[in-house]
Amino acid sequence: MTRQAFMARLMEGLRGLPPMAQADIIADYNNHFNEGAAAGRSEADVAAALGDPSRLARELRAEAGWKRWEMERSASAGASAVFAVLGLGAIDILILLPILMGVGSAIFGVGVAVLAVFFAGGVVFAAGPFMGLPGGPTATMLAGVGLMAGAASGGAVLAIVTTGLVNALVWYGRLHYRLLTPALEPQVHGAL
Amino acid sequence: MPEAIDIQLKKGALELCVLALLSQHDSYAYEIASQLSDSIGMGEGTIYPLMRRLQMDRLVETYLVESPAGPSRKYYRLTTAGKASFTSQKSAWSSFSGAVETILGGAK
Repeated sequence: MTRQAFMARLMEGLRGLPPMAQADIIADYNNHFNEGAAAGRSEADVAAALGDPSRLARELRAEAGWKRWEMERSASAGASAVFAVLGLGAIDILILLPILMGVGSAIFGVGVAVLAVFFAGGVVFAAGPFMGLPGGPTATMLAGVGLMAGAASGGAVLAIVTTGLVNALVWYGRLHYRLLTPALEPQVHGAL
Repeated sequence: MPEAIDIQLKKGALELCVLALLSQHDSYAYEIASQLSDSIGMGEGTIYPLMRRLQMDRLVETYLVESPAGPSRKYYRLTTAGKASFTSQKSAWSSFSGAVETILGGAK
């Protein structure tokens, strides 16, 4: 592979990363080619020793995804970390996908239920006093507030559980990736 | 194709080797990659994801040095946390490899 082809495939694979990080990585590999050339090695030789650029890009993206998840606990950061782990192939997607979908829809279902209870509490609080429910207006309003508070704490627990699950997945993927995959791919390519 | 165990051993040791090299002297990625790929047969490209991770975990930090031939080089040095991590990983590795050695020796 020529230097140009290697860099093109690397850049292709890095798409979606912050521009600063992309520029850093591109500069790293360009330097590597420069150093190789200065040491009298051919482009093809350096490219072969570097390994598969698409694979390297996936690893670099996974690192960035994990870092983002560590920095900001947002839904999109969590989702991109999970997909980065899956993209590495550190976890067999065929085994994991049904579990992920099950867990994901359970979380979604509980989330919807929490929202529903919250709004129901709001309705009871606002409309209850005029409906002449047993116990009088004060008790009804208190019941409404209680429902809303319960829903809010349920939502908080759900967020904690979801964060924990994403953490566990990232930890697992990272552990496996650290131990096995990066060495495996270039070695296999090199040996073929 | 190398045995899977061979690859696993090398991969497990890569981070430790990088920390060990940097504990001797500061270095730049091309030098680290060529030393490691010569001695333990790693793909050179894998050094960059590893260096970025070490940097993100604040085990190493970088500084630029003018190079005699061409553009400036990005040197890596161990941080205090990096030195501590190297010491603990090194002793974990020594006790583990010592134990394996003993068992292998007994199995002759």
